[in-house]
This record gives sequence, structure tokens and C-alpha cells, in this order.
Amino acid sequence: MATTGPIPLGLSTFVLASPFSDADLGLFGKVKNFGYEQVEVCIEDPSRLTAPAVAKAAAEEGLSVLVCGAFGPNRDVSNEDEERRRRGIGYLRRCVEFAAAVGSPLVSGPMYAPTGQARLLDPPARAAQWGRAAESLAQVAEDARAENVRLAIEPLNRFETDLVNTVEQGVRFCADVGADNVGLLLDTFHMNIEEKSLPAAITAAGPRVFHFQASENDRGTPGSGHLAWEQVISALREIDYLGSIVVESFLPTVKEIARAVSLWRPVAESMDALAGDSVRFLRPLLRGRPASGGQS
Amino acid sequence: MATEGKFRYSYNSLVYAGEDTAASVDRVARFGYDAIEIVGEPEQIDAKRIAKLTRDAGIGVSSICSIYTPERDLIHPDPDARKAAIQYVKDLVDFAATMDCPTVVVHPTANMKIKALADPGQEWQWAVESIRTAGEYAARRGVSFSLECWNRFESYFLNRLEQARRLWGETGLTNGGVQGDAFHMNIEETSIADAYRESAGVLQHVHFADSDRTAPGGAHIDFVPIVDALVEIGYDKYISFELLPALADPFSGGRHEEFFDRYTERAIRVIRAVEDLVRTRRALGGKG
Repeated sequence: MATTGPIPLGLSTFVLASPFSDADLGLFGKVKNFGYEQVEVCIEDPSRLTAPAVAKAAAEEGLSVLVCGAFGPNRDVSNEDEERRRRGIGYLRRCVEFAAAVGSPLVSGPMYAPTGQARLLDPPARAAQWGRAAESLAQVAEDARAENVRLAIEPLNRFETDLVNTVEQGVRFCADVGADNVGLLLDTFHMNIEEKSLPAAITAAGPRVFHFQASENDRGTPGSGHLAWEQVISALREIDYLGSIVVESFLPTVKEIARAVSLWRPVAESMDALAGDSVRFLRPLLRGRPASGGQS
Repeated sequence: MATEGKFRYSYNSLVYAGEDTAASVDRVARFGYDAIEIVGEPEQIDAKRIAKLTRDAGIGVSSICSIYTPERDLIHPDPDARKAAIQYVKDLVDFAATMDCPTVVVHPTANMKIKALADPGQEWQWAVESIRTAGEYAARRGVSFSLECWNRFESYFLNRLEQARRLWGETGLTNGGVQGDAFHMNIEETSIADAYRESAGVLQHVHFADSDRTAPGGAHIDFVPIVDALVEIGYDKYISFELLPALADPFSGGRHEEFFDRYTERAIRVIRAVEDLVRTRRALGGKG
């Protein structure tokens, strides 16, 4: 049975300030006023964010919090060097603790390798990297389970990673991690480049879709480009998706993953316009509808 | 063979890397293409031999797929480096002329370069000057330029056709225009069809690939409205298929079997069918 309830809408802090810190928590009021129920806090620099302050600021605005990570070269759970893997795992554990402390049900992001790493490895080298990443994430998943937190792994397009590009690869990677609290974060921007069909990819991932990010084909405001949004949302309903949709784009100041993001021109009139217009476009598509059919 | 007012079809031999050109020319001719696109490496590729091979096979050379490396950067801050890049493009013009090829693809900076080395206004000015200098040389040899946009991950400089039209306009050149590649456009343009439509009169060359850079028909780009836009603006030059494997740097070799016979056949069959549909529908007076 397809889900009929409303799908909650969130905004990524990448749209507000980068790197996001405690000093930016006053911006949660804007998030609320734009019309979002959730804010997705991206932990670019963990030393500049404290969980109690984030939780308090969000509670004051009636927002729930989601946590995502940013994975630069020093947060590499797939590295050949054990010490470097350990550092990557350490960062992820910190994200999991943070999520538990702010009440986020998940930690999301392309946590398997450094974002922007896109090399030409031969198949054995790639398989080895894949194996190391899966093994590291299995460790993190165990800690996360104890905290009742899930991990949502994000496939990225070919220019941003060489490890997990498609939903099909993502499903296979989750299986290799082998923990039921590990699933996928799907992002329409990447899917537009890599998937044969966005709705078919969502359907294929089914219950593994833990989280979802909305971005137009050029990283601009959903509804301003050529993505087939109604089909995408319908596919999410068909798989009984119970998560939320977070609007994501990037400020030119983004540092941790600047190379990967590669934004050279403004994709909206302003980030505020993008945040507000996204709600106006997506909200009607995300409302609940009667369970007794009526959909085409 | 091409008929008046119709598209002409070409296949970019870039993805045939490592194969003898005779086999490439034979394949493209066998699947009904009008021409082949040749990689812009004049020192590695014998233009006279290709001229003969294509003539014998009854096809042409549609275009030169130029390879812009850091050593071939038309907007490099070092004037000697710019001069070397301009010389590369001039060499391509000679290379093209030897094969009766009408078009050389131009992008102002190196592929995969995503950081400016100088002030943006200054770089823009260098782009105008370098392209103009090489373009005036090309005009004397009867060769045109197509100024191509690449997606944000492959270049910071020209991502949207609107930017390329502005740059082309500033060069004052009349031998050529802009070029849109559907793979890049799927990432960068609000509407692929509209971007082509707005380039009416200055569209010199077209690259097609599906959203994942495989042959059209395999992924999610709807080519019907796109072809309709090209027909509407009276585009009658080449549609060349630039299909490449799913790698951040697809120009780094390795044989990918499906891009040879399978995609070469599929690309032209699918887009020819779309062209027939669009032209038939228009001839019968409407879309309904």
C-alpha cells in the first residue's frame, strides 16, 4: 500500500551558512518562516557545533533536526592506511553521537570515501577500497544501532566519487556492510546524471531508501529546471517512503567539499529565494491524500 | 545520405581510442552515418590518410574534437602559454582543412580545470582575443569554430549556452557559433530544448548523448522536444554523438566494448526515428 500521509520537508544548512556553527543558530528562525519542519545540520567542522545548543535552538522554533556529514580527505573510512581509516571512523562516530543528542534518527552523506575522489583504479584496487569502506561502516553501524541511529549512504555522480555512483551500486554496498540500520540517501542532482530512470531507481532501492534530498538538475530550486518531480514523488509514495525530503544546494563559501560541488554561477536569485521557492513548489506535491485511491 | 534540410549524423571517434582509424571509418559508414568526428591530435593522426579513408567510404569528417589540456589553455595568464594554445588551434584548422572538415570545436580552457588562474574579467578578455586570433586564421582557410559548453565538473568557464553566445558575440567572428552537448546540458540548462532554441542562428554544432553519456534511448533524456527545437530553428548541420564511459576523466583510455558497434548503431537509429517522427508530425500540421 502506497503511503498517503504528508512527507515532511527540511532545509540543509548548506543553504544557510558554511561551515555551519553555533554562531549561525539564529538562522533556524528563517528556516521555520520559510515553512520547513526540519533542518538538516551538516557537520563540516565538529569543533564549531555543540549538540545541546543545536537541539535548544531547533526546539525553540519547533524544528526537528537531521544530521549529515561532510567527507573531505581526512575523513576517509576507505583509506589503505589504518590510522587514516580510524580518523574517518572517529569523525563518523562523532556524527552519530551528535545525531543521538539532537534526536536525529539518522546520519547521512557519502560516508564511504572522500568526496571529490574520482580516480582510475583497476578493478582489484577498487574492490579492495570498497571492502575497506564496507568494513569500516559496519563498525560504525554497530555503534549507531546502540544509539538508535541509522546510516543513510549517498551515491554521488561520477565527477564526485569513483566508488558508489548509482542506486544499484548503493544497494549492493549496503548489502556488503550487512547491517539493517544502513540504507541510502538518494539525491536527485546525482540521480539525474547517473540513473537510467529516477522513478525506476527509487523503486529498485525500495525499503533501503532511508533519506531523500531534493535539488534541481543544476542544483537550483526544485521546479525551476527539467526534473520530473511528480514522477519522483509518486515513486517515493509507491515504496511507502516514511522519511522526509531535504532541500539542498550550496553556498559559494563551502570549503570541505568545494572541489566536488563545483558551483561557478548563481543557480538562484539568492539562497533565501531558493529556500522559500522550494517550499512553495514542493509542499503541494508532498501533502497527504486520501487512502482510497484517486491518484492517476 | 544527407538530404536538404535534414540533420547530418556523425559519431565521435574519441571513444574508439586505440582502434585503427580504418576500422572506425568503416563502422561509422556501415551504420549509415554521414561523417565521423576526429580527435584533435594532428601529430598522432595522419589527416591525409583519413581524408582518403573517408572519401573511399563515402562519408565526410564532420568536426574536430579538440583536446584541451593545461598546455593548451587559451586563457592562461602567461602570454607564451596562450600563444602556444592559439598555435594548437591553428594547427587544428590546418588539420581540418586537409580533411575538408567544416568545424573545429573550441573551449577556452583546459578540460577538468575548475579554478581561475587570473581575474575573471581578464580571463574573459583573453578568451575573446585568443579565439578571435585563431578564428581569423580559420576564416581564411574556410573553417568554422563551434564554441562548446561543458558541465561544471569539467570546466568553470563556459557551462551554459547563454555564456557561450555572449563570448562568441564579443569575438565578432562570423565563421561559426556555439555548440551544445546534451549530456552537459542535462546538468546545466533549465531546458535543453529552450537552450538550443535561444541559439537559433548561431548554433554551429550539436553533440548528443543520453543523461548518463551512453547512446540516446538508454537513459532519461526525452529527445523528442529537443529535436523539435532543432527542427524549429532550421538547424541543418551535424548531430554528432559524443558517448563516453562513466568516469570523471573519460579521456584516459581503456576499451569499453558497448561504445563500439552497439552504441554506434543505437545512437543513429534512435535519433533518426525521433527526427522522422518530429518532421512527420510537423508536416501533418501539429503535435496531436
